[in-house]
Amino acid sequence: MKADFQLDAKGLSCPMPIVKTKKAMAELVDGQVLEVCATDKGSKADLIAWAETVGHQYIGMIETDDVLKHYIRKCTNDRTEEMTFDQTIELEQVTNREGLILDVREEAEFAFGHIEGAKSIPMGELEARLAELDKEQEIYVICRTGKRSDLAAQKLVLHGFTKVFNVLPGMTSWTGDLIKNI
Amino acid sequence: MSNKVAIIASNGGLFDAYKVFNIATAAAASDKEVAIFFTFEGLNFIHKQGMHALPMPAGAERYAEGFAKANVPAIPQLVEMAQELGVKFIACQMTMDVMGLSTDDFIEGIEVGGAVTFLEFAKDAAPSLSF
Repeated sequence: MKADFQLDAKGLSCPMPIVKTKKAMAELVDGQVLEVCATDKGSKADLIAWAETVGHQYIGMIETDDVLKHYIRKCTNDRTEEMTFDQTIELEQVTNREGLILDVREEAEFAFGHIEGAKSIPMGELEARLAELDKEQEIYVICRTGKRSDLAAQKLVLHGFTKVFNVLPGMTSWTGDLIKNI
Repeated sequence: MSNKVAIIASNGGLFDAYKVFNIATAAAASDKEVAIFFTFEGLNFIHKQGMHALPMPAGAERYAEGFAKANVPAIPQLVEMAQELGVKFIACQMTMDVMGLSTDDFIEGIEVGGAVTFLEFAKDAAPSLSF
């Protein structure tokens, strides 16, 4: 799975995976995803608790051949600016309509759970991948809380898209089925 | 919510050292402000020579292999890591006087203080722990 940084904490026991994760996190900028490979079984609970304590987003974990791969997204300075895109749509409405659900979260976040049929284009790749989108189709832009999708919707409008809606609230409030590709 | 963790290290065995430094480094890595007050045998942990020869509890020698197998860092490494993460070390002046020790006997970067120095730090810390 795609991550911006990898940390190898295999063979290390508590508290080293946490200490190394903290150090590695300092290298990331806001919104980037760190993959932590660990063998310490205690890291399962510890990294979730650590992320909760320091305010990062714990995305999920994949367990393979005794290696635990954790995905954590840095969010120390969660943007506080107001959402400004005024064409919005309620989360409950998106599945009743014909258009495209565009999920602009990071690839790992998408992989650990998204709405069926949603298309994944992470925020950072949006401008390079506009050709994959249809200007005639309604596009419902979604992220975790509505902030990234607000910016993404503005970007789409700048590039000539008109049938763009920001989905509020975001995936944090989604209670329907989640599709995973892990 | 308190962002401070206050720890008293008053026993000097190897197991005690792990309890102290694992909690201290984990707390510091979780952006907590951490101070450890080293008193009585706890001073061993920051003693230049003592920290390299901390005793196992009697009868627990068989765990030495387990420590190696679990790839647990050595105490001097954990001490260094704790300092790197900004954990404050306070050595107890009274114990030093009783044991005839001076700051030269200890690793760099420690503070020396009395009970009130620790209490001042700990007054709004949660949790406060004693090992």
